[in-house]
Amino acid sequence: MKNNKTKDFIIWTILAIVLGLFCSFVFLPMLDVNPITAVSIMFKDTFSDTFTIGNIFIKTAPLILTGLAFAFTYKANLYNIGAQGQFYTGCICASAASLALGGKLPGVLVILIAMICSMLGGAMVGFIIGFLKARFNANEFLISMMSTYVITFMMQLLLRTVLQESKHEYLKTDYLDSSTWLPKIIPGTSVSFGIVIAVIAAVGCWFLLYKTSIGYRIRVTGMNQEAARMSGINPKNQYMIAFAISGAIAGLAGLVEVNGMQHMLLTGFDTDIGSYGIGIAILANAHPLGVIPAALLFGFLQVGGTVLGHASDAPASVIDLMQGFVMLFVLMSFFFRRKIELRRLKQQKIAGEEAV
Amino acid sequence: MGTPAIELKNITKRFAKVLANDNVSMTIGEGEVVALLGENGAGKSTIMKILYGLYHATSGKIFIDGQEKVITNPKEAMSLGISMIQQHFSLVPAHTVTENIILGNCKGKIDYKAKEKEVQELADYYHFDVPAGEYVKNLTVGTQQKVEILKALYLKARILIMDEPTAVLTPQESETLMQFIRDYVAKGNSVVFITHKMKEVIEVSDRIIVMRNGRVCGQIEKDEVATIDEATLAYKMIGHDLDELQMPGEEDYSKRKKRVVVEHVSIQPKDQVALLSDISFDIHEGEVFGFAGVSGNGQQELCEALYGARKLTSGKIMLDEEDISTLSVKERIKRGMGYVASDRYRYGMVADMSLSENMLLKASYLSRWIKHGIINWKKVDEDTETAIKDYTIKAPDHMISAGSLSGGNQQKVVVAREVDMGDSMIIFDQPTRGLDLGAINYVHKTILREKEQGKSILLVSTELSEIFSLSDRIAVLYKGKIMGIYKNTELTTEKIGLLMAGVDEKEEKHHEK
Amino acid sequence: MSNIINLLTRAFFMSTPLILGALGEVIAERTGMMVTAVEGIFLIGAWGGFIGAYLSGNLVIGFLVAMICGILVAMLYGVTTVYMNQHQIVMGTAIAILTTGFCTFFYRVIFGVQTTPLKVETLPVIAIPFLSEIPIIGPIVFSQNIVTYLTYLLVPVIFYVLFKTSLGLTLRSCGESPEAADAAGINVRQVRFLAVAVAGCLGGVAGAYYSLCNVGMYTSEIISGRGWIAFGICFLGNWNPVGALTFGIVFGISDAIGVYVKALGLAGLPSELFSALPYFLVIVLTVCRKQLKVPEKLGVNYIKEN
Repeated sequence: MKNNKTKDFIIWTILAIVLGLFCSFVFLPMLDVNPITAVSIMFKDTFSDTFTIGNIFIKTAPLILTGLAFAFTYKANLYNIGAQGQFYTGCICASAASLALGGKLPGVLVILIAMICSMLGGAMVGFIIGFLKARFNANEFLISMMSTYVITFMMQLLLRTVLQESKHEYLKTDYLDSSTWLPKIIPGTSVSFGIVIAVIAAVGCWFLLYKTSIGYRIRVTGMNQEAARMSGINPKNQYMIAFAISGAIAGLAGLVEVNGMQHMLLTGFDTDIGSYGIGIAILANAHPLGVIPAALLFGFLQVGGTVLGHASDAPASVIDLMQGFVMLFVLMSFFFRRKIELRRLKQQKIAGEEAV
Repeated sequence: MGTPAIELKNITKRFAKVLANDNVSMTIGEGEVVALLGENGAGKSTIMKILYGLYHATSGKIFIDGQEKVITNPKEAMSLGISMIQQHFSLVPAHTVTENIILGNCKGKIDYKAKEKEVQELADYYHFDVPAGEYVKNLTVGTQQKVEILKALYLKARILIMDEPTAVLTPQESETLMQFIRDYVAKGNSVVFITHKMKEVIEVSDRIIVMRNGRVCGQIEKDEVATIDEATLAYKMIGHDLDELQMPGEEDYSKRKKRVVVEHVSIQPKDQVALLSDISFDIHEGEVFGFAGVSGNGQQELCEALYGARKLTSGKIMLDEEDISTLSVKERIKRGMGYVASDRYRYGMVADMSLSENMLLKASYLSRWIKHGIINWKKVDEDTETAIKDYTIKAPDHMISAGSLSGGNQQKVVVAREVDMGDSMIIFDQPTRGLDLGAINYVHKTILREKEQGKSILLVSTELSEIFSLSDRIAVLYKGKIMGIYKNTELTTEKIGLLMAGVDEKEEKHHEK
Repeated sequence: MSNIINLLTRAFFMSTPLILGALGEVIAERTGMMVTAVEGIFLIGAWGGFIGAYLSGNLVIGFLVAMICGILVAMLYGVTTVYMNQHQIVMGTAIAILTTGFCTFFYRVIFGVQTTPLKVETLPVIAIPFLSEIPIIGPIVFSQNIVTYLTYLLVPVIFYVLFKTSLGLTLRSCGESPEAADAAGINVRQVRFLAVAVAGCLGGVAGAYYSLCNVGMYTSEIISGRGWIAFGICFLGNWNPVGALTFGIVFGISDAIGVYVKALGLAGLPSELFSALPYFLVIVLTVCRKQLKVPEKLGVNYIKEN
């Protein structure tokens, strides 16, 4: 029965994804782009050379992490829609640490320090949100949303002042010392160790949630807060723990992006990585391991969309269109799946009665 | 007899998971009280919700005054003169009595003053002590029920359906309700009375329809009602005889050691009425201590205070000679306390989690199944399978979600876990509410079994029969105060009824003079 | 002094869309529906308003198009949440991503690639005779555009409807106790759906306010979180139209300060801090303010097995 459910989920999700892509491509003729050509470009050109395939993994790595960040709080019935802000905090911490120590200490050590800093930074922001929720019963998703905007402006301020490049020309930092870059793992591509970090984080989240008492308590709190309280589990503590962990994961995405890909911090990059994370988590039904394929899909759509843009007149906004439609239809598929499941139960029941 | 006011013909209702009504037919005549008797889950409420338009029948027909009608929503039912008072009241707590009564029955601008006057006059006419301008959340349950009745009267209902109306009332309040019902049908109206209590059925109804497993399984006509006895009714209701429980004897506990001692416990939130005031009692080893009272008089607060889920304003709680007053729930679980909460769905289980995960619920800080923060799921699963067998829980395996079990089986899971956790003391708050008779019997036997093992047991119940058949000593709780502690044999139903209504013995005597 | 008056005039000007959006949110949330699609509704309002106005050369048509766009997006949100039981917060995010892609894509479809942004004339200021001559208050309150005046007017109207009419009672009961409303013969889902559509209509106009009254053009960053602020104002204003007005003005002021400081361009002044002010204010006020009148079933979908 459980297998049946998983099968249903996968079939319906794939159906929804196809429908979502179809809806986005239908509009392409308006820009004189043949949708069929577009599909073939997206698939053929994207998978034509290792470098472009590598790009999918590069895009995927931070998406896995922001997806995990949302999924983790979602399990505690909390809504951390401020992963964007925690991501930026991680970026700031990682780049500041790498800039300050790069070249002075061994590269591996600096990366480790930067990693800890980025996670601590994200965890701090997450913890504050969780604390405000626990202590003042503040609406966590409103606060986490707003924190993103505040942090974005803070980042701009830092990039204009203390973190600005030596030339003082653009709103960006100097390049990080190359010893602090995450090592490349696939020759002929720019794929860095970041993807490995992301996958380890996903497995770690899964283990934490389903195999340990900490994760168990978080899930109980998410599903029934009152029952948790009656079982000696303090829901408020779980809020703070869940938010801090979620923030740390989003912060880690900052390291992966800065030390693994950009090799510097600049203003206004990856502005939607937080909300994509939400989409990915939903696609994965908030399961930490499901986040990996979901993030791969989004990574593919982003690379494929860019490739399409280079090869035709299709604009970059088609990526958002695709992601939006996919999310919409996946959410709708939840409803139809549930409906069909109920109908099946009913029929089984009737069949059972008639057999008697 | 002429055309019945209402006739239901061959109604079948199928939900995704259950067949709630199976080919049910019945009539309701003018000016009569019809009792719909049956266990929980027999389909009594469902058939009436279909008549009221809340559910749609899968098949079957409804005739009102001989004409076939299709009722698709409550509004249509109301326009046909049918009103239903559901078990869980359909009131908006944050709105006033008047707003609740006129909801859905007014147009355009509301003249609140005029409406309030109108409602107050209606209440006064029926001698209902209901303040029209008060917020519903500030009213007692008994008064809220009156508001529900007023709502029906405001709509000029001629057929009133009441779902378990006495469950929340004191015996005296119930009597007043019965009086109202008699007056109301005397005016040519009809009442359908859904209940599982046999006593009141015999008392008030003209005709009894018994339901079991979604079917009508018996009718007791007007002339038979007066002569029928409870045992016959019970047999019709459940299809077999019940095991009789041994009534607690006059065992002397005073020589046994006191495991639980509660001294002068009060809970008083700031600027509010005290929830509990000056509660003192003790429970011996192997004793069942019963708390009777109308629900909402501080029972839940008392249980939560004992369990550590509520802070005491003052007072002391001792368990096995240790002061546990300031300990957290977590610490009290460690000391072997079990708690079967009254609302299991809310406090006792996680519906979307598996049975194994639910077994682990109270033990997430204990080392029993957890080493270094990592859960030994294999062991949890094994122990859950054992519990399923020991408690004859109807479940395919330990992986099924708790929410998909029936109410009785869910309660068995909770009881199994709490009995297991509670080595020294177990609190049972309304442990049989909403269960069928078979499951009730099982829970009662479990309580007596645990008592034999020397555990101290606190039993809270609104069902007097339950209190009487299990408790060694009985206390009555009224507005957060103990009205008195008695040995089981010292109390009569009448006396306990008065205590539940807050009438003190001394006061009573005073009145007599 | 005149600086302060200018600043406050600007503050009132900037508060209008926030109040409008919050009013729509108040109506919907009173029925239990959080319109988390508000950011997307604002965006599509700004987009539709601009396109309507640019292509027709008429601002009124622009606002009408914005309303329709807002209602359509709200209806999409309503169908998926009210009738398909999807989670309100998650759905809001999906719609935000979708509208972002949709607006940018079709702006490109309609106008092609533009090197300089297209512009329309902004909505003119109408100084109300006599009233606008009152010192201080006159220029601040009575020298605004027609949308602002209508917004002021809407506040007492919505207040009256919510608390003095049967329609209001119906709306509020759906948010407090949908079961009770259902038992009283009210079609809860329909009420909620329509309330969301009304919120979409007001949100659409609010969005168009940014493109048609403020800057006279459309960019994809035009809203940048203002929808969420309107959402926050509804919370802070205790789900009351008057509260929405009050906090709308507070945020208008903080918004105006941010813009003002940035325009000053003082080298030593961290203007980013002032730009972040409104967002920061939402956090601080959400934490400080006791939310007393939360509709009991806010954010909870009404599901009935039948």
